[in-house]
Amino acid sequence: MLRLESVRKTFGAITAVDDLSLAIARGELFGLLGPNGAGKSTTVHLAVGLLSPDRGSVVVEGLGAPILPEVRARIGVAPQAVSLYEQLTAAENLAFFGRMYRLSGARLAKQVSDALEFVGLGDRRNDLVRHYSGGMKRRLNLAAAILHDPDLILLDEPTVGVDPQSRNSIFDNILALKARGRTIVYTTHYMEEAERLCDRVGILDHGRMLALDTVPRLLASHGARPVLQVVSRGREVRVETDDPLAELNRLAASGPIDDFRVERPTLERVFLNLTGRRLRD
Amino acid sequence: MPVILALALKDLRILVRLRTGLFFTFVWPLVVAILFGTIFSGEGHASRTTVAVVDEDATTASADFVSRLEKVATLQVMRADRERALSLVRAGKRTAAIVIPRGFGEAASRMFYGTPPTVDLWIDPSRTAESGMLQGLLFKQGAERMQSTLADSSASREMVRKARENLRAAAEAGVATVPTDRFLGELDRYLGTVQAGAQPAGPGASWQPLAVAEKPVVDPRRGQYPQNSYDLTFPQGILWGIIGCVMTFGLGIVTERSHGTMVRLQMSPILRTELLGGKAVACFTAIAIVETGLFVIGRVFFGVRPASWALLVLAGVCAGVAFVGVMMLVSVLGKTEQAAAGAGWAIMMPLAVLGGGMIPLFVMPAWMVAAGTISPAKWAILAFEGAIWRGFSTAQMLLPCAILLAVGLVCFTVGARAFRPAD
Repeated sequence: MLRLESVRKTFGAITAVDDLSLAIARGELFGLLGPNGAGKSTTVHLAVGLLSPDRGSVVVEGLGAPILPEVRARIGVAPQAVSLYEQLTAAENLAFFGRMYRLSGARLAKQVSDALEFVGLGDRRNDLVRHYSGGMKRRLNLAAAILHDPDLILLDEPTVGVDPQSRNSIFDNILALKARGRTIVYTTHYMEEAERLCDRVGILDHGRMLALDTVPRLLASHGARPVLQVVSRGREVRVETDDPLAELNRLAASGPIDDFRVERPTLERVFLNLTGRRLRD
Repeated sequence: MPVILALALKDLRILVRLRTGLFFTFVWPLVVAILFGTIFSGEGHASRTTVAVVDEDATTASADFVSRLEKVATLQVMRADRERALSLVRAGKRTAAIVIPRGFGEAASRMFYGTPPTVDLWIDPSRTAESGMLQGLLFKQGAERMQSTLADSSASREMVRKARENLRAAAEAGVATVPTDRFLGELDRYLGTVQAGAQPAGPGASWQPLAVAEKPVVDPRRGQYPQNSYDLTFPQGILWGIIGCVMTFGLGIVTERSHGTMVRLQMSPILRTELLGGKAVACFTAIAIVETGLFVIGRVFFGVRPASWALLVLAGVCAGVAFVGVMMLVSVLGKTEQAAAGAGWAIMMPLAVLGGGMIPLFVMPAWMVAAGTISPAKWAILAFEGAIWRGFSTAQMLLPCAILLAVGLVCFTVGARAFRPAD
């Protein structure tokens, strides 16, 4: 659905994206994971044609380069910053953005209503956006991205600064969109979100793709082994093992177990192993 | 709905909901126009018609008539001699001059016959509404004067005494029966015409309590001086309204850029030309509304009268085009609202002041007028003044209009080239 080949983008002396190659299949929910400044938003802007690559190519399958308006018409974007007009109501915002996608008349009205219902804001459609909470604005930001029923949806950090309830609501929306067969690119620096939602995850740092695979494979190849923590006779023991249960049995045979815990490998650990830094450093 | 129109309507809707922007765009310019207009005119009662009254008859009747005029609530009466009164009307400092000529008192002493008392109403022929209103007021005062005379028995007896004196004088001249025969003849003819449904004819039948002779006053300096202070301050007010639009829409673009909505627009399939076109249409529409609204208020309530409606529309369009270009330039002056607002006002204020936005152009010192040449504000005010009171011909209007269009084109081109939806 979306293909980036050897893409490079610089801003002066800063290389935002360096030799990035990526192919995202139709219907896939792809996660772009990386710390702030890793190049995630630049990649999204390249994918939607907001930026042109200095080198390499960006192509939306079957349509062409996203610099073309007709290609952009098939892409929906929820920018990282909430991009809404605070002096307009939710319905007025969506109606306006719908017109930018050449929607009009009854179809526009239906799409606006459907999008508001989808994100759970149907009953607040006539409220000014400036009266919305941060979570509601995020949900409306998502609604504006899917309003025109795009094939490819780019969600740039869609849960930043939202309450847990709105976050779960957004997760449900994203999974529902995936169920409808939409292709989704989801950028985040929250490991747990990528693990929970994404079919595949690409780990970006300093504009370079460090690893790209399914979450289990990334964990297996870069996440190290699970860690068994055992407390026995007041003493804590940490053991890295591929089989925590067998190791626990072995330790139990040698003495009483007061407490134990298994630490499974996470994408945080993967990132630490790949870069030597924590994701939020 | 075309994309450009949708963009423009969205911006106008936001403007209406932004109280600060709305205040500086629509309310503040009106305050400027009215406040300064009132200050410059030295009048506290803009709704009263100002007239100069000249009593050349100097009789009890004429003095009584002047006194009646002074008591009319809608008139502001100033006594003057003929020369001063007419010069005040010519200068636009008084709406009209009412001259009571010699013979007024003599005519007023006759009732229902002879020449009625007459006053001269000196007024600019273009002031048709004021002329009609003043004539009505004068007739009313004449009728009331007659009514009070009839109600006063001593005054009525004086009139009868005078009439009998006239009859006696006629008899001594050997024509004693003539007035009587004539009266009876006229009465017979009058009754005949009333029966036939026609208007009575003859000098006696058309007698009225007061005759008003309208005299034209043409200002020899028309085209050099405004007719009233609001002719000056409403173009200034319109300029401030335009500047309000420029700053509101220019900063609106900066706000869209910093808040991310501009990025979302650029990610949509609209073209750059549509995006900029929408902004331009919104700003031009707001300017046109401000110009029209302020001018209508000036025309209806403050007597601002254009010498040419067509040239006024031309001035409005050209000023709109110029300042849409300036708006585009303001939008690229800074990356943040604060930076753009600071730079925008730092540029717009001196341009407005030098251009006559505060001090009228024709009272500015020569060096200031020369310095103001660089300001589009000057050319906009000149175009408005040309259409309102300077009496510009179409050819004279070409220069300010051409400069305004050129300013608009250059500024918009530069601004559009520098415009980046996102940083």
